[in-house]
Amino acid sequence: MKNRLKVQRAIHELTQADLAEKIGVTRQSINAIEKGKYVPSTVLALKIAKLFNESVENIFTLEDKD
Amino acid sequence: METNYLLPNKFKKLGWVLFGLGLIGGIFIYATIGLTDEFLKVKVLSVYDNQLFGDSSFFKIVENGIFDELVSVFIIVGGFLVGFTKEKIEDEFIYKLRKDSLVWALIVNYSILLVAILFVYDMTFLHILFFNMFTTLVFFVIRFSVLKYKYLSHEE
Repeated sequence: MKNRLKVQRAIHELTQADLAEKIGVTRQSINAIEKGKYVPSTVLALKIAKLFNESVENIFTLEDKD
Repeated sequence: METNYLLPNKFKKLGWVLFGLGLIGGIFIYATIGLTDEFLKVKVLSVYDNQLFGDSSFFKIVENGIFDELVSVFIIVGGFLVGFTKEKIEDEFIYKLRKDSLVWALIVNYSILLVAILFVYDMTFLHILFFNMFTTLVFFVIRFSVLKYKYLSHEE
C-alpha cells in the first residue's frame, strides 16, 4: 500500500511529532507508516484522513502487489 | 489500543531498576561460582526435595542462601514490568512491535537452545539451561527497546 502521508504533512506544515500528537499515536507509528513499514488500521487511516480533510483513498492507495 | 494485560506506565521505571539489579546480580553469581550461596542464609519452605543420595521429602523447612532466588525474581519480575507496562503513548503500532518482539525472542531463544542441545554437553549444557531460564525475557526486552528506538523518527 502506498501513502501520501508525507506530502499531506508538508502541505499542512506538520512534523511527524505534531501529526502524532494531533491523532494521539506515537511518533514511531507515523514514521513507520510513511516509510511503508506499517499498514495502519482502518480506524487510524480514517482518523488521519479526517484530520487532513481528505478521503482515505486520497491518502492511502493500493499497489499491484496488495 | 485496548489491551487487558498491560500494567500502568508508572511501573516501568521500577521494572528497569529490578531488571538491571537482577542482571548485575546474575553476572555476580556466575562470576563468583558458589560464593553467593553463603549470602543471606535464611530458613525457607522446601515444598519438595529429592536428594540424590537419601530420602525425598515434602514440606520441610531448610536453610538456604536466597541471593540467587532474589536475583531470579528480580530479573523475571523486572523483565515483565519492562515489557508489559504501557508506554507513555500506547497505540496499535507499539502493540504490534511488542508482539513481534515476543515472537522474535521465542524463535531466537529456542533456536539457540536447539543448537545447544545438539552440540553442548555435560556441565556446560547445565550452564546454558541456567541462562535459558531468563534469555527469552531478556531477548524480548532488548528487541522491543531496539525496535521502539529504531522507528523513532530523527527528522529535523
